[in-house]
Amino acid sequence: MKKLLEISLGVVTSVGGFLEVGSMATAAQAGAAFGFQLIWAIVLGTICIIFLVEMAGRFAAMSHHTISEGIRERFGFNVFLWPLLVVLLVNFMVLSAEIGGVAIALELATGIGFQWWALPVALLAWLLLWKGTFGFIEKGVSVLGLVTLCFVVGSVMLKPDWTAVAGGAVPSLPAHDAINYWFMASSILGASISPYLFMFYSSGAIEDKWDESHLGANRAIAGLGMTFGGTISIGVLIVAALVLATRGIDQVDDYHQLPLMLIPIFGFWGFVLFVASLAIACFGAALEVGLQQAYLVAQGFGWTWGEDRKPRDDPGFSAVYTASLFLAAIPIVLGLDPLRLTIFSMAVTAASLPLTVVPFLFLLNDERYVGEHRNGIISNAAVIFIIALAFVLAVVTIPLQIFGGT
Amino acid sequence: MELMRDLLDKQVFDRRRVKIGKVDGVVAELRRGKPPRIVAIELGSITLARRLGARPGEWMAQLATRVGGKRHAEPHRIAWKKAQDNGLDIECDIEVGETSIFAWQDWLRDHVIGRIPGA
Repeated sequence: MKKLLEISLGVVTSVGGFLEVGSMATAAQAGAAFGFQLIWAIVLGTICIIFLVEMAGRFAAMSHHTISEGIRERFGFNVFLWPLLVVLLVNFMVLSAEIGGVAIALELATGIGFQWWALPVALLAWLLLWKGTFGFIEKGVSVLGLVTLCFVVGSVMLKPDWTAVAGGAVPSLPAHDAINYWFMASSILGASISPYLFMFYSSGAIEDKWDESHLGANRAIAGLGMTFGGTISIGVLIVAALVLATRGIDQVDDYHQLPLMLIPIFGFWGFVLFVASLAIACFGAALEVGLQQAYLVAQGFGWTWGEDRKPRDDPGFSAVYTASLFLAAIPIVLGLDPLRLTIFSMAVTAASLPLTVVPFLFLLNDERYVGEHRNGIISNAAVIFIIALAFVLAVVTIPLQIFGGT
Repeated sequence: MELMRDLLDKQVFDRRRVKIGKVDGVVAELRRGKPPRIVAIELGSITLARRLGARPGEWMAQLATRVGGKRHAEPHRIAWKKAQDNGLDIECDIEVGETSIFAWQDWLRDHVIGRIPGA
């Protein structure tokens, strides 16, 4: 019973981690522009992240080390420096985009421009990290995140042609705007396979004191949690395809178009649900990314870390998330368009993937860390596939962004 | 033990299981006619900067001296006889409070973090 509760909490948590401004925005754009045709990208991204999250959790449970620690320890400082700098930069952009997402939600709700909300949002996120515990952050915010299920409910209520939806799960060539199509496919993959997600997950496993007995739960949480997250993203895509595209919006280039998605289904409450979903999903992600910045630095340099400690007991760690949150608010305060920043940061995430996924192949096959629970053939095949995919994304994303981005 | 694989970059704990840093460098003594012997491990930004090159190392040493005084002009060293290999990690028979390894964290606590309400 206790295990079951733990698993369900874990599933809810990972749904909260999965869905953020990037997955919502890319899914909405893809649905509006290409109907159901890009569902396969969400499916593919979800399968990849299931494998990576399972491995990150297994690595932490077996070795009591996180993925970031493993990269530093296994590959040395001179190698670690690259993923460190790149992930810090990518996470900075993602964090800024998440703060922007909450700020846009608040603008939609109040009519006060989003720039004004960036600092209050960062302050509130900081306050929760400053005073809260890991369990509080992890569970509290992600339970609220279940409001995003409204997209799944909405997509069912719209009675889509399910054969066409299933057809979208199979990759196909676009009939128009090929470059934009592939750009969106790679942004969706970047939004689904987020380094912050699996790195955060391995830190969470240490915070929750996982050991070998959690391997089963880890597998269930990774599989079910990410599947739920992916399902919600597909819900967003279906709703966008059926509502936005039929109302003549095939280019989502402004956040203000997005609340329209749920209004035909739920009326005024659709607006409320959209704003709540956007605010909560982005806020939860902002907490996780902010914390992940501190995890990454503290773990890379071997400092004391842990969200359950008082800030004065790990000053270096708490200084990093404090600085990260407030720095990330600056671009939004200056009026940088959150939607463009989101799409851009998802593309950069995709381009940075090789640096963070290649280590999995080595870490998860190192007996000194994972003992007898090394990767089997399937997991290794999956990692090699993800690495190959990551390299393709790294090469094509930036050119696609330049020629086909919005 | 293989130095690069089993020692360099590993997590270091002190006697009270406080995480005090990584093994940023290893100091070995060359002996005539005998194999070299490890005498200490090094921690800290100067050692890390030296791993990127001689010049970054000099810059970091100058910076550390300017910011932290003479006490911080050299990397932190822990004698090898105080260190013990615990598989994945290195445990040292010292207390971090008795060294200057966490001097910057203490400064940060006393001057910044500790002054913010609720810390």
